Amino acid sequence: MPKSGERGQRHKPAKVVLAKLSTGVRGLDDILGGGIPEFSFNLIGGSPGCGKTTLVHQLAFANATAERPVLYFTVLGEPSIKMLRYQQQFSFYDPAQVGDALRFINLSEAALKNDLTAVLQEIVTQVTAANPAVVVIDSFRSLARRATGEAGQVEVQAFVHHLSQFLVNSEVTTFLVGEYVPDEIPDNPLFTMVDSILWLSQVTERNSVVRKLQVLKLRGQASVPGLHTIRITDEGLQAFSRTLGLETAAPRPRQRRRLSMGIPELDKMLGGGVLEGDSVLVAGPSGTGKSALATQFIGEGLRRGEPGVMAIFEERPDGYLHRADAFGLQLKAAEADGTLTVLYLRPLDLSVDETMLAILDAIKKVSAKRVIIDSLVGFEMALAPSFRADFRESLYRMIGALTGAGITILSTAEVEDNFTSLQFTHYAVSFLTDDIIRLRYVEIDGQLRKTIVVIKMRGGNHSKDIREYIINDQGVVVIAPRTTDYSQLSTGLPVRTGPRRSQEDEIPPEPKAGE
Amino acid sequence: MRDLASLLKASETPAAGAGDPATFGAIEKLRPHLSMLMGRSGFEALVARALVLAVAEVPWLTAVRVVADGELEGLALAKPATNAAEFARGEVVLLAQLLGLLEAFIGPALTLRIVNPLWPQLSFDGADFSTAANDEEAK
Repeated sequence: MPKSGERGQRHKPAKVVLAKLSTGVRGLDDILGGGIPEFSFNLIGGSPGCGKTTLVHQLAFANATAERPVLYFTVLGEPSIKMLRYQQQFSFYDPAQVGDALRFINLSEAALKNDLTAVLQEIVTQVTAANPAVVVIDSFRSLARRATGEAGQVEVQAFVHHLSQFLVNSEVTTFLVGEYVPDEIPDNPLFTMVDSILWLSQVTERNSVVRKLQVLKLRGQASVPGLHTIRITDEGLQAFSRTLGLETAAPRPRQRRRLSMGIPELDKMLGGGVLEGDSVLVAGPSGTGKSALATQFIGEGLRRGEPGVMAIFEERPDGYLHRADAFGLQLKAAEADGTLTVLYLRPLDLSVDETMLAILDAIKKVSAKRVIIDSLVGFEMALAPSFRADFRESLYRMIGALTGAGITILSTAEVEDNFTSLQFTHYAVSFLTDDIIRLRYVEIDGQLRKTIVVIKMRGGNHSKDIREYIINDQGVVVIAPRTTDYSQLSTGLPVRTGPRRSQEDEIPPEPKAGE
Repeated sequence: MRDLASLLKASETPAAGAGDPATFGAIEKLRPHLSMLMGRSGFEALVARALVLAVAEVPWLTAVRVVADGELEGLALAKPATNAAEFARGEVVLLAQLLGLLEAFIGPALTLRIVNPLWPQLSFDGADFSTAANDEEAK
């Protein structure tokens, strides 16, 4: 023992470090703050059909080794032969692990005897013999349901206590799986005794169903709070953190380059181009060339060696790229050589987090510098109704994550023109964007022509001019300023201000019918 | 499946002179192993189904009954009334039906994963799970 005078120099003993088990579920370890703490006693609960067994199978396969196997006890729930039949359809299922590294043991007979002591004894025997790293009991609910009345409750509590003591001291990480409903949480002592609770649920709204996961409780480490979307595919379960992307957001560099939009006159209007890392919104009614402008933005980036990602929600990629190539942008070639990824995201019931993960994956894949989302309307339509209420919040996170990573993002939004005011979007998302470019129709001299104006540019000065543009075989082309004078162009019904007779009629930028 | 069943049955046949018990040795060897996986009642149900299917081909198996825990009852009575070859065929057919059910439920790969540890001395690399392999008449 050191003397009291040496106390100040004494080395402080280290705290215990919690080793963590990977769940094998993409996205879930991040939500859990790194994984499941080793030797913990955990509950995976929720209603039938929300993915509990799939999650725990994934977890079992991810942690099974011949030296420290996983013991999977099945109890009165789904017959194990059916479970094996269905679960092997998932790609994570490795038959080579079954039998040695992952052992299925049926406890139904012991459970049917209504004798929890016999069940505990069987578990103790099997665990002592196999020295597993992980034990799963599925369904724990059906095991505990056998005991009824006050005496039964005490028996269950004692059973859980002894089970927990034995398994933790055997250096086992345990997962109890059971069908529970939220109303049971306050009164069921099991929820107090376990170290963590992963709660799975299905949210139904109108015709869509979305699976959710919540970390109700996790001792020893911080997890991401809230409801996270989960999806079950052939690959198994995948979790999408509701803060996905934010943790990687880094401050934008102070010195930012100006990026060309691929339209020289528009670059001039933007004071030299869009600032790198900005979020640009291009808003306008149908047919005004929002997609053409977006593809020119991506095409210009590719021309300058900046890879891109296009997330399109309305048009099929073939038609989209074909049209872009008609402007001479050669996007098909860029896609073929791996500098451009086109994401066509149309499935219904998407969550913003899933979409964001798909975009972030694509960005990582091609090291993208420019991203377009065409369009926000299509994006919203692809979401499950339950996500639409949170669209703005989700969009905020998504744009923040992308621009935070130094990526310049251009979104398009369709707005209806009316002839009394100038709408930006009906989403009121302008607060999410650094720059807004508005396209609109105006009626001039018997023609419906198109005008472009830079509404807002957060990073610097910009032209206040309303300029006319056309779409030709080069895409969007901003033409020379008008020589005749009009006011109220922004209403769509301009009024000639100059004395008409003293001015020569200018030649229309595009021929009128019959000319 | 018949070939696999014959292989397993042959490996469980006692050496000459060691007596010839009235049991289906290979099925008896599978019983605790499969009961561990699917529960005793699960194994019982599976063997009962296999027996129903096997009786169509081996009529004397009607004398056999599946009792609690999946044990086979009636073999001791049936054996004296059945010649040795027919008795052996009964086990092969019943075992083939049992393995066939397993294969139908959990697939060939997992079926072999279950069988292999019980007969580590045997090689199952050439095991044929095709429909033709299950059809004795086709063969």
